[in-house]
Amino acid sequence: MRVRPFTSRGYVGGILVGFGVWAVVAAVAVGIGGRLWAWDSVAQMRNVLALRLEWVMTASVVGAALALAGLAFQALLRNPLAEPYILGVSGGAGLGFILCQLFLSVVLAPLLGFAGALATVVIVYTVAQRRGRIEPYTLLLSGVIINAVYGAAIMLLTALARPEQRGDIAVWMMGNIGAFGPQWPLIVIVGALAAGVAALFALFAKGFNLVAVGEDTAGALGVNVGRLRLVTFVAASLVTGASVALAGPIGFVGLICPHLMRMLLGPDHRRLVPATLFFGATFLVLADFAACLWEGAGNRALPVGVLTAMCGGPFFIYLLRTRWRRMMETR
Amino acid sequence: MPATVFHRVLLIGFASAALAAGCTDSAPSAPPAGEGKPLRILSLAPNVTEILFAMGLGGQVVGRSTYCTYPPEVQALPAVGDTLQINLQEVIRLQPTLALLITRRDEVPRRLQGLGVRTVSLQSDRMNQLLDSIRTIGRETGHEAAAQVLLGRIQGDLEGVRRSVAGLPRPKVLFAFPMTVGSSRIMVAGRGTFVGDLLDVAGAENAYPETADWPTIGPQQVVALAPEVVVINATGEDAPPDRVDAIRRAWASLTSVPAVANSRVHVLTEAYLTIPGPRVGQAARLLAETIHPELRRAKEGANP
Repeated sequence: MRVRPFTSRGYVGGILVGFGVWAVVAAVAVGIGGRLWAWDSVAQMRNVLALRLEWVMTASVVGAALALAGLAFQALLRNPLAEPYILGVSGGAGLGFILCQLFLSVVLAPLLGFAGALATVVIVYTVAQRRGRIEPYTLLLSGVIINAVYGAAIMLLTALARPEQRGDIAVWMMGNIGAFGPQWPLIVIVGALAAGVAALFALFAKGFNLVAVGEDTAGALGVNVGRLRLVTFVAASLVTGASVALAGPIGFVGLICPHLMRMLLGPDHRRLVPATLFFGATFLVLADFAACLWEGAGNRALPVGVLTAMCGGPFFIYLLRTRWRRMMETR
Repeated sequence: MPATVFHRVLLIGFASAALAAGCTDSAPSAPPAGEGKPLRILSLAPNVTEILFAMGLGGQVVGRSTYCTYPPEVQALPAVGDTLQINLQEVIRLQPTLALLITRRDEVPRRLQGLGVRTVSLQSDRMNQLLDSIRTIGRETGHEAAAQVLLGRIQGDLEGVRRSVAGLPRPKVLFAFPMTVGSSRIMVAGRGTFVGDLLDVAGAENAYPETADWPTIGPQQVVALAPEVVVINATGEDAPPDRVDAIRRAWASLTSVPAVANSRVHVLTEAYLTIPGPRVGQAARLLAETIHPELRRAKEGANP
C-alpha cells in the first residue's frame, strides 16, 4: 500500500474528511431512519427528529468509545485480537452495572461499570503476563475465561433477581441503542470521555507506534512503557465502562473498526486514532440504521449488539486466519 | 430497576398462552368430585387462584404458583413454582387431587397427570374465555352455583360500566406497560387481548389497530398511532412514585402525541388491570373513569 508522508495539513484534512463522512452517514440515518418526510404534522416530524438524533448520537459516542478502546488494547497488548468485548472488559462493566442496579442504586451504576471494566483489565493483564511479557495465547484465553465467569455471574444474578427484573437484564445484555426516556446527560458524558480519550491517544500515538515495534525498543527510545500502559488502560476502561452504561455490552466494534482502518491507512497510530474515532462512530450509526430499516420493513426490532456480534464473529475468524498467523510466525 | 417484562410475559403467558392448549379436561373422565369429600386443589395461575377464592373455595386450595399473591391469605399457602419451572417434589408432597392451570406447554399438564393429578387447562386470553373458565372451574369443582353467582356479579359490573359510557365519545386509547431499562420499546395491548376487550367495555377505541396480542413498539410508532389517551400500567417495580415520575418524564418528550399534548398520559399502578379474574368489573370501572374523567366528576357531584 502506498503510504503518504505524515503532514499536519494532511492530518487536519483527514480529520475533516472523517468528520464529514460521519456527519453524512448520521444525517442519512436520522432522515431516512425517521422517514422524516412521511409525517402528517410538523410536530410529529419534530418529535421523531429528536428521537432519531438522540439515538444516532448514542450510537456515535458508543461506537467511537468502543473503537478507540479496541485500538488502544490492540496497540498496547500487541495483539490484533484484543478488544473490550473479547477481553471481558465489557462483561466486567456489565456485571458491575447490573450488580449496582440490582442491589445498590441506579444512579451509581455507571461508576460500578467503570470499576468492573478496570478490574477486568487488571485481572486479564496479570494472568496473561509472564516474566514481564504478555503471552498472546494466554491473553486471549484469560479473556475467554473471564468472560465465561462473568457470564455465569450474570446468569446467577438473573436467577436470583425477581422474575420481573429478568427481562430487563436479558434485554440490556443484548446491547441496545436508545432508551424510551431521554438520555442526553449520559450521551454527553460518554461523548466527552470519547473525545478526551481520543485527544489523549493522539498524544500517545508515537508511543503506540514504538510499542508496536517492540517494548524494549520503545523503552530504549525513551518511552515510559509502564506509565503509557497504565494511563491507556485506565482511559480505555473508563470509556468502555461508560459506553456499556449507556448502551449495554455491544461487542466487536472495537475489533472491526481499528482493523478496517489499519487496512485502509496502514499501521501509523497518528492516523489511526482520529480515523478510528470517526469510523467507530460511523460504523455503529450504520449498524443501528440497518436495525432501524429492518424494523421499518415490518420486522421485530433487532438489538444492535446482536447485529455487531454477527458481523464481528466472522471477522474475528478472518483475523485469526491472517493477522494472528502472521504475528505468530514473525515472533 | 423498573419494568417488568418478564412478569408481563408471564402474565400474558397466563392470559394468552392457553390459546393453543384450549380448554381441555385432560382427566380420564373422572367423576367431578365435590360432594362431601373436599378437593385438594393446586392452582397454577394467579387469576385462577383469585377466582377460586372469590367462589369461596379458598379452603380447598392446597398449593399455588409463585405468582399467586391475591387475595393476601394466599401467601400462607405453599408455592410450587410456575408452569415454566415447577417443583414436582413439592407437588407430590401436597397430594393435590385437582390441578388448574393456564399454559401453552402441554408437558406440564402431562407431567401432572403422570403423577395421578386430575389436570384442567384453562384459558383467559379474552373476556369470553375468562367467563368460560369460571364456568369450567365451577363444573370441575362441583360448585356450579357459586360459579354462576360470580359470573352474574362480573357480568353485572361490566354491564354497569358499559351503560355509564354509552353515548360518550370513544377516544383512541393506547394501553401500555412501562419501558424496559435501556430499551426504547414498550409493550402495548392489541385488540386480540383481554385488555383490548376491557378498553371496549370502558368506552374506548384501541389506538393499536391490529389484532396482535401484545406487540412491542417504539416511540416512533407511538407518534404515528397518535393516541388521544395513554394508559400506562406501572405495577410492582414500576409502582413507586419516583418510577412513576420517571415514566411520565420519558413520555413528556413526545409532544406531538395528542395524549401528551393534552396531559392525558395516565400512569395507573393497580396490578388487577391486567388480571383476567373476579376484579375485571373493577378494572373496567377504573379504566372508564380514567378515560372519561366526566364520569368521576359526575359521581362526585352525585354524592358530595
